[in-house]
Amino acid sequence: MEDKTLRKEKNPLKNIIILVIVAFFASLTLWGNAYFINLLTLLFLYLSLAQMWNLLAGYSGLVSLGQQIFVGLGGYCLAIMTEKYHQGLALSLVVAVAVCVAFAFVISFPIFKMRGVYFTIGTWIVAEALMIFFANWSFANYNIGYNIRMGYTFSPNIIYLMAYIIGIGSVALVFFLLRTKTGLALMSMRDNESAAEVRGVKLYGTKLRIFLLTAGYTGLTGAVLYLNMVYLTPDSAFTINWTVSMVFMVIIGGMGTIEGGIIGAVVYVIIQQYLYNFPGISMIILGAAAIAIILFLPKGIMGTLHSRYGWELFSVRRGLQNKGASVTSLKDILMK
Amino acid sequence: MDLFVSAVIQGVLLGGLFAIIGVGLSLVFGIMGLTNIAHGDIMILASFFIMVFSVQMGINLFVALAITIVVMVVIGAAMQKFLINRVITKGAEPALLVTFGISIIIQNILTLIFNADSRIIKGPFSDVNVVSTNWVSISAEYLMNCLVAVGVIIALSLVMKKTYLGRSIRAASSNVTAAEFMGVNTLKTYVYAMCIAVVTSCVAGLLVGQTFVFYPYSGTQYLIIAFGVVVIGGMGSIVGTLLGGLILGVSQLLGALFFGNGYMILIGYIVMLVLLTFRPRGLLSNMARK
Repeated sequence: MEDKTLRKEKNPLKNIIILVIVAFFASLTLWGNAYFINLLTLLFLYLSLAQMWNLLAGYSGLVSLGQQIFVGLGGYCLAIMTEKYHQGLALSLVVAVAVCVAFAFVISFPIFKMRGVYFTIGTWIVAEALMIFFANWSFANYNIGYNIRMGYTFSPNIIYLMAYIIGIGSVALVFFLLRTKTGLALMSMRDNESAAEVRGVKLYGTKLRIFLLTAGYTGLTGAVLYLNMVYLTPDSAFTINWTVSMVFMVIIGGMGTIEGGIIGAVVYVIIQQYLYNFPGISMIILGAAAIAIILFLPKGIMGTLHSRYGWELFSVRRGLQNKGASVTSLKDILMK
Repeated sequence: MDLFVSAVIQGVLLGGLFAIIGVGLSLVFGIMGLTNIAHGDIMILASFFIMVFSVQMGINLFVALAITIVVMVVIGAAMQKFLINRVITKGAEPALLVTFGISIIIQNILTLIFNADSRIIKGPFSDVNVVSTNWVSISAEYLMNCLVAVGVIIALSLVMKKTYLGRSIRAASSNVTAAEFMGVNTLKTYVYAMCIAVVTSCVAGLLVGQTFVFYPYSGTQYLIIAFGVVVIGGMGSIVGTLLGGLILGVSQLLGALFFGNGYMILIGYIVMLVLLTFRPRGLLSNMARK
């Protein structure tokens, strides 16, 4: 399947559009106003969270409700490294990623024994257990949490650039990962586990790699999120609300599409900001919107756009050259 | 030693309460394969209704419970008929995410109306001890909770075994196609099953609201307890929930005894995870993996 002829024709216009967008957001540090910069910082960080959850649930079929584990661990690593040990930012971020990956590896042994809903519930229980553990742990300052003073030493532009790199990086990471053999293995696994295994996909190893990858990246994002927010407590670090936002972004945008995560993140951040003074109402609207989308547009905004108009920005499908026929439509032909 | 005995007795009594919190979740999962994330919030919603009727309007507690059951059954049936039934045939995930949305909506509506203040339902049994010695003391409230819970669960399992409704529900859960051939309307059966689950949640809501303070956000905490009970006992097994509640209750109180009160809930979670690792389908699961 690595044959180049099986790739879709390259559209140079698309690449130019992407480049212009990427350059536009990078140039914002030179002329954007403070409010806008702050908003976009959040946007890019949430974009990264959405992409990682999408990679996990939408492409690998691991519906986890425990990704707040890694947001919280990332934030705590940053807080403890900078406040307790007075280390620099770079080392703290490295430690955050390392701790998240290591923790994910340790919990993968019990967690991966659970299937389907048990996996979903199991990950959530781990997160709740961590919340209580950190609230009772003297090393992590009990319930008081930390004030991350390092956050004040950076200008908003620098934090924006970090968020920007993480956000764009997450899109690029998912995009290029899905075009490799691993990506193909993931999608075949999500669609039919037994069939994929028969065709030689190593289920456990592939899932584990994706779980560790998303854990590390979510942890990195969490650390930068808390560098921006400056204050963390166990209740806020390990709250299910992190995963709620990931799930909503991905469902609204379209599960299993890269563009879906982007659309979802934009919608989410706009709703959050617009209803900033009414936090309850914004959550109610998000909940209702998510239910409405599951009922009426099961593929999300992006999936619906794609199946109606064939429009997509990041193609990870493999189709026949010149025909533009995707694998799914080939299957339709065969079914007839 | 007396502390140990006292913890075990309290744990067993608490376990009864946990069992009735979990039984609705188990029923719904066993019958339609639905993981109802909104389960805890439905229970807390019932607690708030009972609180409003009995504490704020001054209606008799049992009348308040009856009104709440009627209101909640209407809400539950509407939720099942108009939201969940429309996606239940499309696999486990969409339905799970719909209930996730419902859970967020209930929590935030409750917070908007009642703020984040703690509430409690004043019952006739608070601060009364049945057995009160230097060694052990048993509060009337805990004993009452346990008795009511066991009663409701036994009644529920009789309904499932002896009545036509119970038989059709069990038929729909074991083979949808065969049940439909025999004239069972499975989607309608799902609505009935959800109503039964909601009634148990109303009773659980009353017991929990009398025993502990609750907040609009408490649903999540009780959802995880319900999950624990169901996961330990085996999804879909009604009697299993009693065993699950027992194990969870005793392990929480022994955890509190040995490690301190802060770790009480943590120990419960760890026991859950360990059991889930070694018995991924629960101790008494009577159904094949879906």
